[in-house]
Amino acid sequence: MLSRVANNLFWMGRYIERAEHVARFMNVNYFSSLDAPNQLSQSRQFVLQSMLFMVGNSINDASVDLDEEQVLYDIALNPEESYSIINSIKNARENANSSRDLISTELYESLNKFYHFVMKYPKEAFVKTNLYDFTINVSEMTAVLRGKIRGTLLHDKVYAVIMMGVNIERAIQINRIINTKFNDAQKAQGGYGDTMANSFEWSTLLKCAESYDMMRRLYKKAPTSTTTLEFLLLNSRCPRSFMNCINQVYNHVKELENKAEHEKHSTAFLVGKVRAEFEFKRIEEITEDVQGCLNGILDKMFKISESMEKEFFGY
Amino acid sequence: MGYDYEIEYVTRNTYEKGLNEAFWQFLIIPENNDTQELISWNFENDLGMVNSVSINGLGFKTVQVRAKEQTDHINFRASFKLSKKEINPYDFPLPESVEHERALLHSHNYRVDHEPFLRKTKLTQLSAKYENLFLFNNKKSIFENLVALNKWVFEKLIFQSGVTDVGTQLSEIIENRHGVCQDFSHLFCAIAKQNGVPSRYVSGYLHQGNGFFGDSQMHAWAESHIPNVGWIGFDPTNNILANHNHIKVSHGKDYNDCAPLKGVVYTLGKNKTQYSVQVKASQQQ
Amino acid sequence: MGKVSNKSIFSNYQKNEGLFDEVFDENGNVKSVYQKILDIYGARSIKDYVKLNNKAKSSFFNQGITFQVYGDKESQEKIFPFDLFPRIIDPDEWDLIEKGAIQRNLALNEFLWDVYHDKKIIKDNVVPLELLSSSPNYLHQMMGLDPPSRIYNHISGTDIIKHSDGNYYVLEDNIRCPSGVSYVICNRTALKRALFGVFNHYKTHTVTDYAENLLSLLESVKPHGVDVPVCVVITPGMFNSAYYEHSYLAKAMGIELVEGRDLFVENDFVYMKTISGPVRVDVVYRRIDDLFIDPMEFNPDSALGVPGLFAAYKKGNVTLANAPGTGVADDKAIYTYVPDIIKYYLDEEPILKNVHTYHCSRPDDLKYVLDNIHNLVIKPVDEAGGYGISIGNRLTKNEIDEVKNTIKAAPRKYVAQPIMSLSVHPTYIDDTKSFEQRHVDLRTFTVLGKDQQFVLKGGLTRVALKKGNLIVNSSQGGGSKDTWVLKQQ
Repeated sequence: MLSRVANNLFWMGRYIERAEHVARFMNVNYFSSLDAPNQLSQSRQFVLQSMLFMVGNSINDASVDLDEEQVLYDIALNPEESYSIINSIKNARENANSSRDLISTELYESLNKFYHFVMKYPKEAFVKTNLYDFTINVSEMTAVLRGKIRGTLLHDKVYAVIMMGVNIERAIQINRIINTKFNDAQKAQGGYGDTMANSFEWSTLLKCAESYDMMRRLYKKAPTSTTTLEFLLLNSRCPRSFMNCINQVYNHVKELENKAEHEKHSTAFLVGKVRAEFEFKRIEEITEDVQGCLNGILDKMFKISESMEKEFFGY
Repeated sequence: MGYDYEIEYVTRNTYEKGLNEAFWQFLIIPENNDTQELISWNFENDLGMVNSVSINGLGFKTVQVRAKEQTDHINFRASFKLSKKEINPYDFPLPESVEHERALLHSHNYRVDHEPFLRKTKLTQLSAKYENLFLFNNKKSIFENLVALNKWVFEKLIFQSGVTDVGTQLSEIIENRHGVCQDFSHLFCAIAKQNGVPSRYVSGYLHQGNGFFGDSQMHAWAESHIPNVGWIGFDPTNNILANHNHIKVSHGKDYNDCAPLKGVVYTLGKNKTQYSVQVKASQQQ
Repeated sequence: MGKVSNKSIFSNYQKNEGLFDEVFDENGNVKSVYQKILDIYGARSIKDYVKLNNKAKSSFFNQGITFQVYGDKESQEKIFPFDLFPRIIDPDEWDLIEKGAIQRNLALNEFLWDVYHDKKIIKDNVVPLELLSSSPNYLHQMMGLDPPSRIYNHISGTDIIKHSDGNYYVLEDNIRCPSGVSYVICNRTALKRALFGVFNHYKTHTVTDYAENLLSLLESVKPHGVDVPVCVVITPGMFNSAYYEHSYLAKAMGIELVEGRDLFVENDFVYMKTISGPVRVDVVYRRIDDLFIDPMEFNPDSALGVPGLFAAYKKGNVTLANAPGTGVADDKAIYTYVPDIIKYYLDEEPILKNVHTYHCSRPDDLKYVLDNIHNLVIKPVDEAGGYGISIGNRLTKNEIDEVKNTIKAAPRKYVAQPIMSLSVHPTYIDDTKSFEQRHVDLRTFTVLGKDQQFVLKGGLTRVALKKGNLIVNSSQGGGSKDTWVLKQQ
């Protein structure tokens, strides 16, 4: 596979995954806030700030009065904002265009339909009434794409590169979502005697990661800060957990490297090292310094992505 | 009797913003022909990249260097050892019949065979205004006409560097009457072709021991084809016939076929090229 | 004007007596090869047809088989207009086309070999020297070079029309990078989806074997000493209008689609940059114009090509298909000599006729052209895609004077041909929601490999969608039809 094309496929995977997380985050946050138990969590401004924080465009000035329609438009459909969903889909398709000969007709056709759906989505209706419809459709179409990736591509290097993109992006997005909700939980403390550990925000967090039902099935209790973090960071059986993502990245990078032993400076070595670290980590080590740990993970994922670019995509 | 030459070509190219990838091709290796024999070559670049010798589309040897990693410059040095025969440029008989020679020159098959060097290029095209700038004398042989043309160009233009560049059109050169060896050679070729004589641009080195024009850079002259004789070299910059001081590298329709350095460089900023040439000679014992 | 009244869907079909209709004969009766499809279509209403048509269109759109139209702000994606009513060619007619295309392209290949070697045809005064020396596509770098298996025009597109006399004529040769073959295959796929019932009634040759044949050709011209060649398709990139075709062909052949920046040359070998390091490339199907393939040899400003590629080719370490320099043989000025070229090299009569061409560079022809301009089509010799064509009987008086002056200023640049009456074919027209006569031509695809020749049994029927228009190129608003070549009973 050509290095340039591998790079494009990697980013196609990342953009598809990114669009999904942003869409779901908007959906869950907006709608669960409507009947949130405390006033702050219910506040429009608080929810909008949270959304902007998640896409990396946080407003630190609390006195700024955000315009709801503008914020929703910016995050979903504004082609001028690099973080918007519409841009992620555009980028995903552009990356797919340059590697059309390698991906299946079925996958391309789905992505292309998705692209036209987003491009043609009526902007007025979206900001006024159709937030739910739009975000749900994005989530579902990305699920279709994931299915096409898994079901219509040969599981070879092409597949491995796309899946590395998907999983690295998922790890990063899960991290961002945890970070955002951790930040929200901190801010929302104190209202109605709500403590940080039992904050309403943890349920929202789990829903943002489509992991609420799984978590309830496993723990059979209302989520707390510790159990939520443990589940989303360390539980390898949760498909959205960081642990699961890094396991998958490791499996796929082995497909690319094709060597019995990893060289010391290879991406596979780096991924393996991160994986080993988290495989044997206890949640207590994380709760000591949650922010530090989240930053550490983000940093490691960026390093892995960088190393991939050098090893496989740099000519 | 002959001459031994040692030639050195040194260049430094710098790139303001740096580059990620580059490909340079040097057309600087003296050719082997009846009068010159390349004995050895040596190439060095300071990027630690391979210098590979290849043959270009027109059949001349080139050196190629490819940069795979980031750099902001390349230093390249080539040295050659070469031996050259003493040449008597007048060593051929003049035609018995000028008319017969001219008929041959204009014969169909002759023109088909020499099509590449009768073709006019952007750099060797005389505008309509100058088509009759220098007309051959039908009573004289082609060789005599070419010698006269050589002298005419030498007198028409004044050697001055820095006023023209490799893309300067002939009409501008004719009007301003200034130029360097490329311009002298292009004008010579253009007029010779206009008069039906196949002519080509030659790039090479000039040994300047005798105070010829040519800078410490690569030199250019021309070759014209004379029926029943072959290719004869004319150096209009110095009003002489090519001799043992002229070390030929390549020929082509014009400068563009013979540019000593061609490069493809992926960079955004400006770049600067410096190069120098040194030719040392010693007469063989 | 006669009316065809037998079938509902064609009840309003206007038949112009002066034109050769592919479906109906001069008495308004359906030609036998079209009988079945007309019976089936006739049982449907226009409404059904419109529904089918829209379905087919959205299938093209969703598959991204589109081209870009650049507007003020956003670029728009459009599908190539496509007509669901197929053109059907009977086996005997096809036999003639196929033999003629092979004959023509073999002769052009001989011509290319000759002009890059001894130039015998020029010395024998069959083709004028002027045509070589004035052609920017005659590449001196190709002199004396022997391409593998002596093949230059591996892939050729021959444009053929049917005149009102019922005979086929060649309109143009395309032997640089002819495009359109992917639409042949997409049209067939779309038609099969929409009209699967109709196919049962016809024995039609498949067109999907093109990629297979192309790959086998590319492998057959591998460099000396290579066992299993690595073949690639090189494209100028995704902004090229034929990008879809490039990616389609690469995918169908299962080989890499590369851009210039994916390749590099070291020691006269060509490599592609892959995730597992450099991989040697042996055969390059180039879809980049030859003057852009190597900035060291040709256009120095080309960012599309690969520096050093030509030297590697010359050394025999990589094969380029088509060979550089083929453009000298598909110049419109050379076209008129093709019948002579066929006789010269093959000692055969041309199977497919040429349209008579007047060379404005010849004084006699120039005079004829200027005197009869209203009955002629004027074409520039070095433009592709239907640009710069003037049709004499469509010009106003002022325009005629203008064209005359342009010709007089540069006679060598223009040729003229009698206005050929391209045959017409019933074509569904969106605006009037009915079938109307539209002019069609046929681009055939010929593949020449080592000891193998193949003509795609089908080809691209191009339709001039504007009423009365004779220019069928897609860049000039043309559409296309699926083309069925029937098997011998």
